Amino acid sequence: MRLLLVEDDPLLLHSLSEGLREENYAVDTATDGQSGLSLAQEIDFDAIILDGMLPHLDGWDLLAQLRATKLTPVLMLTARDAVEDRIRGLDTGADDYLTKPFDFDELLARLRALIRRNRGQGRNTIELGDITLDLATRTLHRSGQPVSLTPREYALVEHLALHIGKVISRTELYEHLFDENEDSLSNLLDVHVSNIRKKLGSDFITTRRGHGYFIS
Amino acid sequence: MKIPLHSLRWRLQLWHALISLVLIVAACLLADRLVTRERFEGIKRELFDFERSFFTHGLADHRPNDSKDTPPTLQMIKQALQDFSLSKEAAPPSFLHLFEDDPRKPYIAYWGEDGSNIFRAANTPPRVTAPADVAERYRWEESQENKNLLLTRSHRSGLKILVGRDISDDLAALTRFRLLLALGGSAIFLVALAGGWWLAGRALVPIDTIALTASRIADGNLDERIEIDESDSELNRLAAVLNGTFDKLSDSIERQKRFTADASHELRTPLTIILSETQRGLRHERNAESYRGIIANCQTAAERMRRLVDSLLQLAREDLTNGSVELVDLADIAFDAARELSPLADAHQSRLTLDITPAQVEGTAADLETLTHTLLSNALTHTPPGTPVTLRTKVVGEEVILAIHDQGPGIPSEHLPHLCDRFYQVDKARSQSQNHSGLGLSIAQSIARKLGGSLTITSDDSNGTTAKVRLPKS
Repeated sequence: MRLLLVEDDPLLLHSLSEGLREENYAVDTATDGQSGLSLAQEIDFDAIILDGMLPHLDGWDLLAQLRATKLTPVLMLTARDAVEDRIRGLDTGADDYLTKPFDFDELLARLRALIRRNRGQGRNTIELGDITLDLATRTLHRSGQPVSLTPREYALVEHLALHIGKVISRTELYEHLFDENEDSLSNLLDVHVSNIRKKLGSDFITTRRGHGYFIS
Repeated sequence: MKIPLHSLRWRLQLWHALISLVLIVAACLLADRLVTRERFEGIKRELFDFERSFFTHGLADHRPNDSKDTPPTLQMIKQALQDFSLSKEAAPPSFLHLFEDDPRKPYIAYWGEDGSNIFRAANTPPRVTAPADVAERYRWEESQENKNLLLTRSHRSGLKILVGRDISDDLAALTRFRLLLALGGSAIFLVALAGGWWLAGRALVPIDTIALTASRIADGNLDERIEIDESDSELNRLAAVLNGTFDKLSDSIERQKRFTADASHELRTPLTIILSETQRGLRHERNAESYRGIIANCQTAAERMRRLVDSLLQLAREDLTNGSVELVDLADIAFDAARELSPLADAHQSRLTLDITPAQVEGTAADLETLTHTLLSNALTHTPPGTPVTLRTKVVGEEVILAIHDQGPGIPSEHLPHLCDRFYQVDKARSQSQNHSGLGLSIAQSIARKLGGSLTITSDDSNGTTAKVRLPKS
């Protein structure tokens, strides 16, 4: 899952992005509205966390401009808990909001819900034959037995599972699994895929050569 | 307003009623007295004249002609009276009633020196007897008995004369008049009461308006004001004073609200950092280095909160209190501030120039130190390293000037009007990393205002930025 975090306070930006990375999100960051907007327009993020008060271009204006082209789910962080601010955010196109100070756990839960809703997935579990993915705990079970996956392997399986039956290109997978700070080697994806096949069976992920991967 | 007598309207009404009552009663009594006197004077005059005319005209036919020039003797008068009583037919018409029984018309009676009755008109009531003693001669004595007014006199010949008349009709007329007076007085009193009530109500309408407006303001509608018309009445002046007070109050409430909102807003970010760092730290096991990083971040956030709280408290104190005022030389303060901040200037590679001349102002040393310190450290930290900074104090006319000038790149003009706003930051990300609360200039401005002066900041990109404090010279 790749997220964009737009927040002007350097310390808070650092804290949130580190926290989210530890939860295996790929996180891109921006400290002002203008650069946040260009990033958001350029890349298909799974979700955007957007602070309301930003220099140059504030969160509400950023949102209004972004909504002209993209429907990326947006979670707004507002420092003021004035109802007008929240209404303005939601009306401009925000999908959810959180008032500072908030619990980090709640931020994670809302992010999961946001991404799930965006995928049209109502529940937090995905069943693939005898394999079950739990999106909340980010774990995978096979016939009730937990299968140990690295966070990145899990993220890859989750992304394919959320787009079941659809061929996902390598570029898209790169975009969603790695943020722009990571110097990803081109064969890193192949390593992850072969590791997953070792753990879950060689026919779990199908390769469509020249196109990408999919789970049927 | 629960007890009617405590209401202003009722009290006004009561006083008004009391005064009206006293005036009306006094007027009625006076009228009664005058009319009664007039009436009695009239009857007395009538009786007096009657006696005179009876003596001169009624008896004229019965007196010897030759004696007209000389005073009549007792014998002559007795004779004339005797004759008159016997010749009813010859009596002039105006004296005919003396032969009839009608005491409402004047009657007359004569007694001799020895008290024997000489003449008694037929209409004299039987009760009337010879006057016992008439003290002085030639003077009429009046007495009022049984609704009869009697005048008595002694003639120098020794005769005692009594004229009288039944005055019950007059008394009845007087009673009627008094009744009318009482009715009229009461009517006037009632009209006065009603008028007073109406006037008091009319005069008090503005008070009700003021009370109503004030209660609406108390209910939280702070923009409400009392409507004032053109006239310069006392209540309008009161309303104007109240409106001024409401303006000030709502201003200070507005400031307080904005301040609280700003303060809570500014505290939210460091709080969020602490929450997110601690929760992040507790989610996973990690190595010591990582924990150290998290704790350091929490510390930074906590320090930011501490600075913020300190500044807020200082600002609140500046807003609320007045310290003891003394005579302070601004030059000393500036010199001390420059010395204290010289390490900062060195670290910033700034050349700090002092151009200070003695300048006495009235104020508290602590305030002036904060003011100078804030402005100087702003000039030293918000400019690129190596920017020359000048600190000046001087007296110009009736003003003392403290000017801090830096030759930095200047502040964009759109920021200038907001520099002294609380928490306003030209470059938010940068200032937060540099230990600034965003309250320094607000504090400086409120100090300058408290001392009766002003703080202005001018800036352009060719000449740099000047912060100038003007204070009244002492």
